[in-house]
Amino acid sequence: MIGRPGSATWLLGHEIRLAWRGLLARRGRRGFAAWGPPAIFIAVLLAAGVPLGRLLENAGPLTGAPFVVLAAASLAAIFLLMLSQTLAAAADTLYERGDLDLLFSSPVGPRKALAVRFLGVALNLYLTFGAFLGPLAISIAIVAGPRWLGALVVLAALALAASAGGLVLAVGLFRLIGARRTRSGAQVASALIGAAMFLGTQGHIILSDGRDSLWRALWRAADEGRLTPPAILALPLRAILGEPVPLAILAAGAVAIYGLANLWLGARFAADAAAAKGAASPLQRQGREAARFVGGAFPAVVRKELRLLFRDSALLSQVLLRVLYLIPLTVLLARSAARGEAIAIPGAAAAVVFMAGQVAGSLSWITISAEDAPDLISCAPTRTRTILRGKLAAALLPLAVLLLAPLAAVTLLSPGAGLATTAAALAAALCSGLINIWHQKPSRRGEFRRRRGATWYALWAEATVCGAIAGAAALAALGSWWALAPAALAAGLMLVLRRSERQVAEALRAA
Amino acid sequence: MLAGEGMAVTDALALRELSKTFKAPAVDRLDLVVRQGELYALLGPNGAGKTTTLRMVAGLLKPDAGEISVFGIDALADPIAAKRLIAWAPDEPMLYDQLTPMEYLEFVAGLWGVEPRAARERAEALLRFLDLWDVRGQRCEGFSRGMKQKAALAGALIHEPRLLILDEPLTGLDAAMARQVKDLLQQRVRAGGTVILTTHILEVAERMADRIGIMQHGRLLAEGTMSELRALAGGAGGALEDVFLEITGAGSADAA
Repeated sequence: MIGRPGSATWLLGHEIRLAWRGLLARRGRRGFAAWGPPAIFIAVLLAAGVPLGRLLENAGPLTGAPFVVLAAASLAAIFLLMLSQTLAAAADTLYERGDLDLLFSSPVGPRKALAVRFLGVALNLYLTFGAFLGPLAISIAIVAGPRWLGALVVLAALALAASAGGLVLAVGLFRLIGARRTRSGAQVASALIGAAMFLGTQGHIILSDGRDSLWRALWRAADEGRLTPPAILALPLRAILGEPVPLAILAAGAVAIYGLANLWLGARFAADAAAAKGAASPLQRQGREAARFVGGAFPAVVRKELRLLFRDSALLSQVLLRVLYLIPLTVLLARSAARGEAIAIPGAAAAVVFMAGQVAGSLSWITISAEDAPDLISCAPTRTRTILRGKLAAALLPLAVLLLAPLAAVTLLSPGAGLATTAAALAAALCSGLINIWHQKPSRRGEFRRRRGATWYALWAEATVCGAIAGAAALAALGSWWALAPAALAAGLMLVLRRSERQVAEALRAA
Repeated sequence: MLAGEGMAVTDALALRELSKTFKAPAVDRLDLVVRQGELYALLGPNGAGKTTTLRMVAGLLKPDAGEISVFGIDALADPIAAKRLIAWAPDEPMLYDQLTPMEYLEFVAGLWGVEPRAARERAEALLRFLDLWDVRGQRCEGFSRGMKQKAALAGALIHEPRLLILDEPLTGLDAAMARQVKDLLQQRVRAGGTVILTTHILEVAERMADRIGIMQHGRLLAEGTMSELRALAGGAGGALEDVFLEITGAGSADAA
């Protein structure tokens, strides 16, 4: 490893090695199966950069007001996305630090240990976004000149500033709502940032009845001179274009922000991280005291799964986020209904059905695969079928409640389409649930966030089947008999995906 | 050895020729009988096959060969009927961090189909006995290891199992908690229940068990009451530790 044992570089090497091994373990596969998809993804991005580079090379000067506004707005969006990611990561550092106790008790000292861990957060952020933007920037640079590599420096500056912001916010949350709620608070806040961005951009599309995006509106405003950006806003664009002075200013600014945040937070964070450990036991969260015993395994399973679902703030914020995306859709639907147009119904039907399938997929994955006491279930005198039915029911119940409003809206606009949408949503939800039963991948509930759900195969199957059913719903809403075609495709896929109870048990044993 | 002979219906557990191989044989044609109403301690060095044996009895592992009979019920032919009589409490508590002890007991009682009124009364009695009554409304995530262990034990007892199987039940318990658990187990046996436990704390086996079985390499090396084992070991010392080391060969190896 690089550096003297105990030095910051040595510690950073240790962090990188752990992160790398974590990445390898997460991929879980070897050879082409592990590296094929990302390699193809990067190749596609590299290829996409070529025409883009040509375009930029021949575009003439890119320094006009519209470009300034567009660059600043895009960077602001990336910054917000980064912030929402670091917030959760910073809260994890505070909580699931695992080895921080070891580091804190060693002569390395908490300040250095934390500085390195914070740097790890920033690096991780940079690599995550760099995986998307890096290949693009590199091939643009090859085609249109090396100055475009400045974009990567800008990205690094953004990552540093966003990590600093995320860390400050996490410590702020800690002070505001206490140790125990910081993690849930950070998850909700990061979900809200994402949702606010989505609603912010979509809001404009809705208000203009789907004819105009926020980006286009900004562009036009700047182009027509209604929006004159101040000179400082030109800095990001000039840095992206590779001008050395703006690049240096941005980089130095980000490093300064990061350094200050580190200096100011280091001591505080060390104290908070210690407090988080101490707070784990005394602050008890209450559940129900009175017993309400019910006879039978099925109701017991449904009840237990619902309790666990509603106590999982990470999961809830994810599901609620997906539901938030329905808001613009509902508004769009309501506006078109108010004008007596039914034009949006097929699209709405498809969206509701697809969303139903996806949410059912997440929820049933967590009720079915994320079982913390599988041995308890296995040694109970209850049939596997009863348990699985209970788990599926628990996953679909909250979904039914969430779907009531959009389904009612579609039904009010057009009863026939409402019926088709309801049937299709039910089918999509059930199919997702069944796929999660057939292709289980057991793991502990706490690992849900890190693993992001089921196997890629199950995720792909789920998306394809739900997509087909959503298509069928849209066509059915139009009153077309062609709806039968995607419906048949979905049914065929389900037949291919089906596994018998014995096959599932064998797969689980082999796992 | 008594093992393998007289599989009477009254035996709580009878294993015949039980085998399980992972990479190497973990349990090797094991014959074992546990009588109704006794506290049986299964001892053995790490990797002797104790936990594998008990997991097969609890229905968590399928044996490669052999028979398992629980109170005369063929556990391999009718696992559900056998599971109804058994409770399994491993050293790692089978708990849900986000449930309270009371909610956990509700769930387990539901799984075993316990009649609701009886379940409520038993839950209260168990939680009071195990000193968990005051925290019955708090989620298990904040519990100490000992408290988790006790909550899991309450779950194992909520359905009044006729055969209680515990793997290292005293791991992580402080002296007071360990005493509570030992009292509870002895109470169960006095009331006619059958308890099988594995432990590394030999004094516990020596003091509590009616009979002790010593396993190594997936087979039963010796079995009997404390005095029978002493005789088997050729009068080696007085304590179970000496007998154990003598029988498993670790004592002579160490001495050599």
